[in-house]
Amino acid sequence: MDCTVTIGGCRLKNPVTVASGTAGYGEELSRFVDLSELGAIFTKGLSLAPRPGNRGNRVLETPSGLLNSIGLENVGLERFIAEKLPFLLAKGATVIPNVAGHSEDENEELCRVLSGTPGIDALELNVSCPNVREGGMVFGTDMGRFTSLLDRVRKHTACALIVKLSPNVTDIAGFALAAERAGADAVSAVNTFLGMKIDVKGQRPHFLNGVAGLSGPAIRPLAVRAVYQIYERVSIPVIGMGGISSLEDLLEFVMAGASAVSVGTMNMVDPGLSVRLVRELGEYLAGRGASGLSDLVGAAHTQRSGQ
Amino acid sequence: MALLVERPLRLCSAHYLLRIRHTIRECMPGQFVNLRGWSGHDPLLRRPFSVFNRESDVLELVIRVVGKGTEILSRMEPGEIDLLGPMGRGFTIMENRSVLLAGGGVGNAPLHYLARMLKERGNRVSCIYGARSREYIYREKEFREICDSVIFTTDDGSFGTAGTVTDAAREILSHEAFDRIYSCGPTAMMRSMVELAGSAPIEISVENYFGCGIGLCMGCTIETTQGMKRACIDGPVFDGSSIKWESLC
Ligand SMILES: Cc1cc2nc3c(=O)[nH]c(=O)nc-3n(C[C@H](O)[C@H](O)[C@H](O)COP(=O)(O)OP(=O)(O)OC[C@H]3O[C@@H](n4cnc5c(N)ncnc54)[C@H](O)[C@@H]3O)c2cc1C
Ligand SMILES: Cc1cc2nc3c(=O)[nH]c(=O)nc-3n(C[C@H](O)[C@H](O)[C@H](O)COP(=O)(O)O)c2cc1C
Ligand code: FES
Repeated sequence: MDCTVTIGGCRLKNPVTVASGTAGYGEELSRFVDLSELGAIFTKGLSLAPRPGNRGNRVLETPSGLLNSIGLENVGLERFIAEKLPFLLAKGATVIPNVAGHSEDENEELCRVLSGTPGIDALELNVSCPNVREGGMVFGTDMGRFTSLLDRVRKHTACALIVKLSPNVTDIAGFALAAERAGADAVSAVNTFLGMKIDVKGQRPHFLNGVAGLSGPAIRPLAVRAVYQIYERVSIPVIGMGGISSLEDLLEFVMAGASAVSVGTMNMVDPGLSVRLVRELGEYLAGRGASGLSDLVGAAHTQRSGQ
Repeated sequence: MALLVERPLRLCSAHYLLRIRHTIRECMPGQFVNLRGWSGHDPLLRRPFSVFNRESDVLELVIRVVGKGTEILSRMEPGEIDLLGPMGRGFTIMENRSVLLAGGGVGNAPLHYLARMLKERGNRVSCIYGARSREYIYREKEFREICDSVIFTTDDGSFGTAGTVTDAAREILSHEAFDRIYSCGPTAMMRSMVELAGSAPIEISVENYFGCGIGLCMGCTIETTQGMKRACIDGPVFDGSSIKWESLC
């Protein structure tokens, strides 16, 4: 059976990956799963200089979901390359760094350096973080700034480029199409939805930043819809995510149009889940006598038009 | 696989003792476990609890019911329970020294196991056990048996001395010196304990809100003089003097 996924020049062993920000830099996750069994690990959003992240409350459980306001705490480019990447590569992991610069300049520099670093075959450009004041989601919700950033970054990225889309727009497929036109090799969808929690006792927002990003099973139907809409408009691969907790959830994303998927919030609850899904998907496909995943990708679209 | 040995035992108002059989190699006082006592998505996250006691392969936890997750855990039937851990960095264990333990509320739970281990290593253990009122004090007799001296304080004076843990600590520290102080409880209490400790080494165990409890999300980060630290991996026990208290809300 061939379950590999090709994104530009990057080959994933299988379609199951772990999402940025929910797997750290792999060190802790590697106590629970063999990272080499995963399609890829998307590491925590990176900036040039280390960032301390947001102050105050950073996470809060909501009904079947999670609000986070981490604010891209990360070790910075230098330490990532010197300390984190060698560990991951030694473990046999396919590493896809998540690039989260504040400005066009910073993103360009991050992409230039990372894509020239041995061992890195793909980058994910995060234009959709709701938890930082500068850059972040602005890049992913303003079409002018989105295309301008992508044009610059594409020129300086020597490996596969994945664009992580913000769901906080009216027409996410329009952004996916713009990414494809700018030369992206794939899009990933979705990042967290903008949410908020009010502390009723204190009569103020629970998070110092006011808003926060919602993830987990609570957003799954919204995320599946986004992937479905994107698949109708682009021909580059879509990496689907949003609350995946089981094989059935994973298959929903695949049938909506995802060629690969990411497990995010549920890693935090059940750190062995991603590798279990690799096995379960393999068994499922073998049980159907399928030669790979490709027949199922976007299956819900053909079924619908055949109705 | 971890097994809840028996129904949670009510210890005092809103506090339950969970006894869990689990094969563990090592478990230090101050370490915690991440529990899930449900299979659906609401509650979603695991809940962290400090180790209250360990008897060979049985871990004991004291759980104070404050919300949905703890409510479910307090009513669990015996059988399989989803547990990760023990995790995190525990307390430093001294030998043949004189130490002071100061706990507030459910923060006394990790101090119980700590007191036991410190006694086994020949330390002289003094303890201040603080609670809101008489009905929130659990395992009083055991604390008395383990420690060389225990002072109970209650906010309303319904048991022991009326007043706070820090009032009692100020009193003791005015005439007695300790090689190390250990504290767990409300943030304001631990902060005052660090001030009172002056130059004496003090370790505190933070209980801030965790996301994953296993080092993946950076949801539990606190600011220290050594930079940003994840409470679930680099803690929950920290050198009290290293904490930047403004960052803990
Ligand atoms: C390292 C560590 C060790 C802990 N040890 C113990 C222990 O031994 N015994 C014990 O009873 N509790 C302990 N706690 C606190 C315990 O984890 C929380 O009380 C529990 O997660 C609440 O879950 P819930 O679903 O019942 O509450 P929720 O429904 O999630 O919340 C109810 C209320 O409790 C508050 N709350 C939620 N989580 C925490 C938290 N981590 N700390 C303080 N308040 C919180 C919420 O803000 C809310 O107001 C520990 C926490 C940490 C981080
Ligand atoms: C705690 C946390 C931190 C995250 N950090 C990042 C990040 O640094 N970069 C990024 O692109 N997405 C980040 N995300 C978004 C996830 O990668 C994912 O897109 C989103 O959570 C939806 O998937 P899920 O519902 O499976 O978690 C983060 C999510 C969470 C919960
Ligand atoms: S709670 Fe997730 S890193 Fe500590």
